[in-house]
Amino acid sequence: MKRFLRIASLCSLVLVFAFSAYGAGEPIKVGFPAILSGGGALFGQPASVGAEMFVREFNAKGGAMGRPIELIIRDCGNTPEEATRVAREIILKEKVDFLVGGFTASQGVALSEVAKTEKVIYIAPVSKTTAMTDPGKLHPYVFRAAANTNTEGRSAAVFMAKHPWTKIATLGPDYEYGQMVTKAFVEWMKKIKPEAQIVHQAWPKLGETDYTPFIAPLLAAKPDAAFLSLWGGHFVTFSKQAKPYGFFEKVKVVAAGEGGSPETGMALKDDLPLGITTNAYDVFYYPDTPEHKSYVERLKAYTKQEYPPSWAITGYISVQFLAEAIQKAKSTDKMKVIKALEGLTINTPIGKQTMRAKDHQATRGQVWGTTAKVPEYPFPILRPVEYIPADDLMD
Amino acid sequence: MPDPSFLLLQSLNGLTYAMFLFLIASGLSLIFGILGILNFAHGSLYMLGAYFTHQFVSLFIDAPGQFWWAVLFASLTVAALGAVIERFFLRHLYAREELYQLLFTYALVLILAEFAKMVWGTGQFSVTRPALLKGAVPILDQYFPTYNLVIIFLGPCIAFTFWFTLLRTRWGRKIRAAALDREMLSSLGVHVNRLFTVVFFIGAWMAGLGGGLVSPVSAIVPGMDVEVIINAFIVVVIGGLGSFWGTFLGSLIVGQVYALGILVFPRLSLAFIYVLMALVLIIRPWGLLGRPLQR
Amino acid sequence: MSKENWILLLFILLLLGIPLTESRFYVFMGTDILILGLFAVSLNILLGYTGLVSFGHATYFGIGAYTCALLMKKASVPFPLALAAAAALGAVSALVIGFFCVRLTKVYFAMLTLAFSQIVWAMAFKWNSLTGGDNGFVGVPFPEFLDSRERFYYFTLGVVAVSLFLLHKVVNSPFGRILTTIRENPERTEFIGIHVKLFQLVAFMISGVFAAMAGALFGIFNHSVFPDILFWPASAEVLIMTLLGGIYSFFGPVVGAAVLLFVRMQVTSYTEHWPVILGFTLAFLLFFFPGGIMGFLQARFARPGGNR
Repeated sequence: MKRFLRIASLCSLVLVFAFSAYGAGEPIKVGFPAILSGGGALFGQPASVGAEMFVREFNAKGGAMGRPIELIIRDCGNTPEEATRVAREIILKEKVDFLVGGFTASQGVALSEVAKTEKVIYIAPVSKTTAMTDPGKLHPYVFRAAANTNTEGRSAAVFMAKHPWTKIATLGPDYEYGQMVTKAFVEWMKKIKPEAQIVHQAWPKLGETDYTPFIAPLLAAKPDAAFLSLWGGHFVTFSKQAKPYGFFEKVKVVAAGEGGSPETGMALKDDLPLGITTNAYDVFYYPDTPEHKSYVERLKAYTKQEYPPSWAITGYISVQFLAEAIQKAKSTDKMKVIKALEGLTINTPIGKQTMRAKDHQATRGQVWGTTAKVPEYPFPILRPVEYIPADDLMD
Repeated sequence: MPDPSFLLLQSLNGLTYAMFLFLIASGLSLIFGILGILNFAHGSLYMLGAYFTHQFVSLFIDAPGQFWWAVLFASLTVAALGAVIERFFLRHLYAREELYQLLFTYALVLILAEFAKMVWGTGQFSVTRPALLKGAVPILDQYFPTYNLVIIFLGPCIAFTFWFTLLRTRWGRKIRAAALDREMLSSLGVHVNRLFTVVFFIGAWMAGLGGGLVSPVSAIVPGMDVEVIINAFIVVVIGGLGSFWGTFLGSLIVGQVYALGILVFPRLSLAFIYVLMALVLIIRPWGLLGRPLQR
Repeated sequence: MSKENWILLLFILLLLGIPLTESRFYVFMGTDILILGLFAVSLNILLGYTGLVSFGHATYFGIGAYTCALLMKKASVPFPLALAAAAALGAVSALVIGFFCVRLTKVYFAMLTLAFSQIVWAMAFKWNSLTGGDNGFVGVPFPEFLDSRERFYYFTLGVVAVSLFLLHKVVNSPFGRILTTIRENPERTEFIGIHVKLFQLVAFMISGVFAAMAGALFGIFNHSVFPDILFWPASAEVLIMTLLGGIYSFFGPVVGAAVLLFVRMQVTSYTEHWPVILGFTLAFLLFFFPGGIMGFLQARFARPGGNR
């Protein structure tokens, strides 16, 4: 085993030397730490696939200034500690100047720190917490292509306020993301509908396997509606456990955390609660624009999946921002690329996105809709569905 | 807040959770009591029980009693795996210090977790409840899921059956004797090694059953092995390693502390269980119902 | 000079020379290995020398890291003082926790160390206002006089070298010999009049102090401190490192740390299945090389009447 490793590392050294002696057409290396293991892999893996697809298409068109982009994808684990270590290894070993990746809110904060000390440009495709871009935490090297917790929480409040519900409960995972998005929801709710009351707040830990001790107290407070912020597998578990209590009939739910993703619909199938309002980053059936349709077809072909994953778009757009910024700056000099990124508007498959100069956040809205069973697909989807833009809700 | 029907409901929730824990922890306790090994990989066996159940459910599409057959086959598969591990690997470490056995089971955790990832990927799975048990039972003025109620009764029944078979039959007596004095028993002509394999088989079977039965209630995701093993450890420590009733008591306590602790200190419930574990280890290290060890 | 001392000198020269390679990466790896090596050696005081299996050693590492980082960031305490405070807090917590743990043996000892480590972890995870909660703690300031990577590396090398020197003195002293006697047979040692529990407790404290120092260095090195360094797999990881290197050798754990970090770095470049490789390596080790790498080497190159 050791011998194999020694030979393998020797070979890799040779390859590295060979590559670096290449000269012009030398690839632009972009580190991509992604969650490829554990609970977050459900979303981390498609995100990296989306990035890969973009890079392939971009390089086929000639790359930036004739140079192809090379993605260095590594498993960053589920914790910020691992993400930090992996990111630093990539930066120091592969000598990358650009980093795209991380997943959970804590990882976003951690990688932002790494970007600051190692002075590399970091674009966060998924981490939503506003803590990364708040004044005092913001620094020139960090950018966010994801939506932020303000946008998400407030969009949910907007939906909630459309209905005559006044007694509201919240249930969210007790960590950075859950706390921030719930806070955004509650504050906006108080602002746009002062008569609404928060009658109960439940805080299961992230990764809770048994939500039943939280369900009963919430139901006992007799709310009209609830704001949930569980995501991925956590949402799946919660739905299954809550269903027999008649939870979704008793309480109207507005859920952040991308419960409307086709991935979740396919995992839950008949157990997905119908009639709840939730969101997703991208759904393959909306919008009907030519760019989006083409993107979905390409994604289908690339992933060989009938119903392509919704998380791929996060990796896709993030790398797109970076690639086009490099093109605009006509250089890989970090300062120039930063300037190019600020205020950059790109045409993504879901429409135009702009990276705001003032706080390095993209005007990333999300798709919101109501879950329903439809004859066209073997799993529930969002119908009706609309895109809520972020512009007014971000600050 | 103290609305009696709601408190009762909360308590029942705690009880359901306690029963799942009990299934897993009793297997753990059995293996420790008889073989002297603290099996870190017990959580992994539980996880595999869930994954295999999901697999068999898709295999037995539309068969009557599909879910229960799947659980049976899945748990037997896990039990067989456990027997293989004991027979070909663990057995060779009995002569060594406990550290080696402990670390080997930890190595198993790493290997089995990766194996699950390689076979089933990193996606999340769910198993639908058996049709008969999909509904809920009215209790006072709340509803309690039927399936959970069934578990509350089924869990202990299964564990009781195993343990009392083990303890009241001839096999059972041999096994208990083996725990006390291996050499003596073996010199009396008993196949101690085979006994140990059987015990491991049974312990693994219980873990697999726990995993199978929990699959309609919880998402099957990577990471469920680590989560459950820590809780199982806490249960057996509180109750007493190697004591059946202790494990039962420990599960009840942990389940209730969990369910009711959320009402009292909603955001500290995480630490409670560990504090309880530490307290027991400090005041009464052999657990509430365990036997004081010969130091 | 004996053969071992020559090898040691060679290593020291090699370590001194690493920054001269101008590779930021090697300096990074080197610092990481030194810090974790110290951590592993501190564990081995308990494991290899006293025979106590601690499954919660990450506690002191974490306490050291958080203490030093918090003092420097929130209270602007100068680095040397923060480092000393980290060591002191490591000693105190080891004293308190150790007091309860040494009353137990074997599995129960291990379980209690695990329980305490989870409690400390839960505290760090939840106490948002103090520790930053699950987000951890970023932006740990670099001490001014060490603001370059290379200088920090030399400083770490210095601290680790001095620590190892002190620990080496400890294990080769009469105190150290009593520890190994306790490891071999606690009852008999008690019979000859040694207060076994007291010695175990002191060993616990010593290992806690140096683990805390390693942790403090790590916090600065990483510019951030996360609760994961307190979570129980971190304790398992340092156990594996120690075992890999060899628990019956003083420098074994350092070798183990170096090999593990290096292999992990290489393997993760090629595959995401590092955990399974780690698992197999560990199993392999347990079955065939219980003495670890150093044990294997010493058996191969043992001189008659071999020594440590």
